[in-house]
Formats: sequence, C-alpha cells, structure tokens
Amino acid sequence: METELGKSKILLQKMLIKKVNYLKKILIISFLILPINNSSAEFFRDLSNIIEFNETRLSYGVSVTDINMDGNYEFIVTGFGYPNLALTYIDGKLKNIAQDEIFIDQFRKTIGVAACDIDKDGYEEIYFLNTDTYSGTKKYSDRLIDKKDNYYFDLFEIEKNKESLNLTAGRSVVCVDRKGTGEYGIYVANYGGPTRFYEFENFKIIDKAGYLNLGNVTGGRAVVSGHILTDRADIFAANERGANFLLKNNNGNFEDVAFDYRVDDVIQNGRGTALSDIYYRGRLDILSGNWLGYHRAYVLENNKFKDIGNKDFDKPSRIRTIISADFDNDGFDEVFMNNIAEPNKLFKITEKGKFEEIKLKTALETEGFGTGAAVADIDNDGILELLVSRGESKAQSLTLYKAKVEKQSKFLRIKPINKFGAPARGATVTLISNKRKHSKTIDAGSGYLCQMEPVAHYGIRKNEKDFRVEVKWTNGKIDFMDKIKLNQTITIKQK
Amino acid sequence: MKKTLIKCLLLVVLFQIEVVAEEKNYHKELITDWSRIFPDKNRNAAGPKFFKYIIDKENTYKDFIEYNKLFCAVSGSLIDPNSDSEFLFVKESKSNSKICGNYYRCCVPCSCDVMKYSEVQKMKYKFTDGLKEFYVITIKNPCNKTDFPNRVNKNYFCNGKKINSNQVYNLDNRIVIGLLHNGRLCKKDDINLVKSHQITGQYCELRNNTPLEKLDAGMGDIFIKLAR
Repeated sequence: METELGKSKILLQKMLIKKVNYLKKILIISFLILPINNSSAEFFRDLSNIIEFNETRLSYGVSVTDINMDGNYEFIVTGFGYPNLALTYIDGKLKNIAQDEIFIDQFRKTIGVAACDIDKDGYEEIYFLNTDTYSGTKKYSDRLIDKKDNYYFDLFEIEKNKESLNLTAGRSVVCVDRKGTGEYGIYVANYGGPTRFYEFENFKIIDKAGYLNLGNVTGGRAVVSGHILTDRADIFAANERGANFLLKNNNGNFEDVAFDYRVDDVIQNGRGTALSDIYYRGRLDILSGNWLGYHRAYVLENNKFKDIGNKDFDKPSRIRTIISADFDNDGFDEVFMNNIAEPNKLFKITEKGKFEEIKLKTALETEGFGTGAAVADIDNDGILELLVSRGESKAQSLTLYKAKVEKQSKFLRIKPINKFGAPARGATVTLISNKRKHSKTIDAGSGYLCQMEPVAHYGIRKNEKDFRVEVKWTNGKIDFMDKIKLNQTITIKQK
Repeated sequence: MKKTLIKCLLLVVLFQIEVVAEEKNYHKELITDWSRIFPDKNRNAAGPKFFKYIIDKENTYKDFIEYNKLFCAVSGSLIDPNSDSEFLFVKESKSNSKICGNYYRCCVPCSCDVMKYSEVQKMKYKFTDGLKEFYVITIKNPCNKTDFPNRVNKNYFCNGKKINSNQVYNLDNRIVIGLLHNGRLCKKDDINLVKSHQITGQYCELRNNTPLEKLDAGMGDIFIKLAR
C-alpha cells in the first residue's frame, strides 16, 4: 500500500514538474514576443558645462565650419540681438573665439546661417541671414562674411554688391553647387518676398534667382540641397502657407517637381528638414518636419515619394531643426527632433526604415525653447556632439550633448574636399559593407536655420566588415576607396 | 490544460500583431492628397470633391465612415480628428421624412445650412467588405443657376448644365456633399432634442431666418447660393 502511495506521489511530482516546465516555456515565449521597448534611460550625457561663459541669450541657427582654418571645426551660433559666436574646442572647453565686430554683429538679428566656399579659394564664406521682421521687407540686410589676412569683412558692404542686398525677411540658407563646378551659390529662403540665389561672378555677388526661375514668393522655411533626384545638386524647400518646392537640377537649371513627386504638402507648414538614407539602400531620402503638423519620412519609390513615418514619428509637434546622424556609433542613424516649448524627441531608424523612439531624459528639454541644433565631432574623439541653441520667446543658454557609446564601438568619418580645397558640401558619401549601403550627405544647410559639419560620420555595426567608400561629387562623378581602416577620419580629395 | 495554454499563447500573439500593426491615419491621408483633391487650391463649398475622392478609393465601410468624419460638407474644409459631431435632422428627398443623424462640421453655422439647404438620400454602395446602405447629404443640381457663386470652382460641379460626374458624385441628378452618420428615421424625442439644442435649435432658428445679405458667419452666402 505504502509502495503504491509512493509511486502515485512520484507520478504526481513528475506531472507537476512537467507542467511547471511547460509553463516556464510559455512564459519565456510570451516574454520574448512582448513589445520590445527600445527606450534608453540615458542616451545622452549632458556636456553643457564645458561651454565657457554660457549665458542666457536668444540664439537661432547653428553652422559648423572651420573659420580659422586650423583643421578643426567651430560651431557658429547666431544671436538674435545677441552676438554671433564661434565656439571652438580648446583644453576640454568650448570657447568663443569670435572677436571681430562684423562677425559678432550684436545689433542685427541673425537667425539663419550656412557656410560654403563661393569664391573658390578653399575658405568657406559664412552667410548670416538677418531677420528683424516676421515677413516682407526688413530693415537690415544679410551678411556674407569672408576673411582675408586674418581680417573679416562683409562682401555685401562692398559698393558693387550693394545692389544685390537681401532686404526681405527670411529663414534658412543653403549652399548649392548647381553646375557641379565647385562654385557654390547660396539659396536664401525668404518669407513674404522673392527667394534669392546668390552667385559670385566676376568678383561680384549677383542674384540669379530670376534667371534660374527660383524667384518665387512663398513662406520660405527650411531648404536642403544634395543628390535627391539627379547626379547634380537638387533642392528641397519646405515652405509655409504654400506648397514645398522640389527643384530638380537640369544642367544647372531648376524645375519644380514637388507635385509630381508628391512632396508638395501644400496645407502643412514646413520646418526641420534633413536628407537621410532611411532604408540604408544607398540613396538620400527626405525627412520633413511640419509645424504642429504630420512629420514626413519620404522615401522614393517608383518615381514618387512615399511617406513611411509611423504614428510615433509623424505625431505633430512644435518642430524646429531635424538632424539625422549616428550619435551612438551603432551603425544606425538616429533622428533628433528639436522642438520649441515642447520636449525634444529621438528616434532610431532601424532596418527597413522603421522609426523606434528612444525615450530621452537627458536632452529632453521639457522647458527648452529650442531654435536650432547642429552636430559635429568637435573634440575629434569619433563621437558626435550635439549643440542645441535656444531662445525666441525666452533667453536660454546653449546645451551640449553626447551619446553614451559602447566601449568597443567603432567609427569611420569621411571628409570630402573639393578641387578648390573646400568642404564638398552637397556631395554624397556611401559606405558599402556586408551589412549595408548607407549614404550620407555632406550637409549644405539648412534643415531649418542650421548646417552640420561637412563630414559623413558612420558608427560601425556589430560583425560588419568589407568596407568600401564611394563619394559622389557635386558634378555626379564617383570616386571609390577600399581597404579601409576604422576609427579614423579620412579626407578624400576631388581629382 | 495544454489546450488552454496554447489558446493563451495564441491570444498573446494576436495581441502583439495588433499592437505592431500601424493604424490607418485617415486625416494624414487627406492632408497628403489635398492638392490632388483641389488642384486649383479652391476648396470653397467643395465638400462634394472630398466625398467623390473618398468613395473612389478602395475602402472598407469603416474606412469610408472614418474619412467622412474629417471634412465639412458645407465649407470643404478639413476637420480635426476626434472632433465632435452635431446631432441634427435633414429632410429625406424621397419621403419628406426627417432623418436624424450626426454631422461633422467645421463651424456651427454649417449645421444650420445643412438642415435648411440640403436633403438626404439613401445610397447603396459596394465596399471591399460588402454592400452597405447609408444616408448621404445632397444638394440639387446647381449648374443651371444664373447666380452660381463666383468663389466656387464651377468646373468641379458642372459640365455645362449637367452635374460633372467625373468630379463629384451624382445621385439621381443631385450632388452628394457628404455623409449623414448614423442616419435613421427621427423619433419624436430626437426631433425635440434637436429643436431644444442650443445650436440646432435656438441658433439655427435665428440664422435660418436671417436674410442672406446679412449673414456674416460660416461659409455664409457661398454654400447657400450654391445649394438653395
């Protein structure tokens, strides 16, 4: 009898163990298929304390260029009734090195900025867009700063250039090498007045907007340029109170094809815009934020742009600058959305163009009045820094962030230089490996007032190998490079 | 026990699929296609253009209902998602009966204009998920009018003196301007509710007895001139 009882007990125990194991399996499977929350408590580190004399001010656009030609980039931060700054990295600090009155220009109200070499001397001139009125005619014109013998001067102050002054309120500026010759023109997105397109011809600044059929009147907001549709510099302009422009480059002339390509978005109000390889397929598509409207992630399919932004990404917000960059060096781009008087947002673009939100704590800036932002590896450590400018309704200081990266992470930075020795803004760099074909633009400006460093920055994915780099120059010609060593910045010069 | 567990697991999987699946954003689609719906950018009183655009899409009945909550049949303007509707009645063309239902509008006067200047008709339509019947709001053919409102694009509505069926939906020689949601024959309580409501009662009584030249709210005389 006891033996029988014992056997039953053992049988019962065995059954129980079997069921517990079964339950365990079910639990594990259920756990595995629960939604994966990619939120990271602390994606960024706050480095704002390294900015010297970081006072509250009204800042707007930020550009990244090498103003003193020392091989390192500076953040150029505009001031609205405050000094324009040139922040450089020295001894672990971001220090302002702008001293010249014409550059600082405290009494004009600067909001947009972009730098490029318009006169083919290898030095990037800086276009400061001043706006002292919301729309229409303004009091103070823009400045185009050049440097000679350590002395800054405004090309617009030279008598022969005065007839070309821009006296219309505007927002963004972008550099466009429309002919592919390395002679940059500057597209000025004006608001309530005709668009300007300046070129330096016979030592004179000439507005060619009318000649190029670009002199439309709209509510110009953001404008970007790069290889969007053709092998030359195309332009996408996100506008307010009017349709966006998609200007297809046809041998240096432009044709607006926004309606045909379905990016006109006529009843939304454009803001932050960036070129990004959303599908990691070796072409530049368009991220376009709309003020309190649906943000777009346009990818080109069958000669039409299709918006693939999901409901987290497209959620309307008070959007300003949008940046697409690999902050954490994992080989996937993040999209930083700088909002004003509303928390910032960050998404990771995973394979197949899926936007996964990374919940921010640092850089959330719930109380921040974000007006602009730019990225650069300002301290040359292979990790991007993100500088956020703030102001408009409330004077606020600048903020600086850097992603926390894994110790074993690797990077590759490609810096294309054109035949005149200047950054090849508008060129496209593509990293080809066993894992991806990933294009990045050499930022020409001005995904809403701002311009990024002229470097294609790639983090490296796990188990990634067989690297090859392709540079498509602004004339459409392509140079290749292989046998690449990681963890370095490679300068590629146009032949 | 095993079967129950498998069922649980299946439920979890189905739940996950639902979470992962992207919901259709009807409002975003209308915004995206706005310049296709209104190529000349004139949407004055052009609710019928929205209706035609929507019914021409490959829709389920649910899609059709949801799209029709997002534009104002009177003004032709878009309506914010999650906006409330107005409970009102409109005369049915065929029977002269009052049909009650919900109308999604951009502004208060539009509810009054629908009640006074339009009618409803039953319409049957085959959607991707089957044949459905519903009430649509219609106006009479305006193409013979000598005072056709000049702020309305006549080409959207008319092909000569006929309704332009390529641009708007023609139902028994009347133009469909929108959908009356949840349409049904009014009960006595429904009519009392509409008449005692601050907007559909008091306000509409005032508006609908105001001479046309004195109207200064809503689409004012544009829709009325088109629909009367």
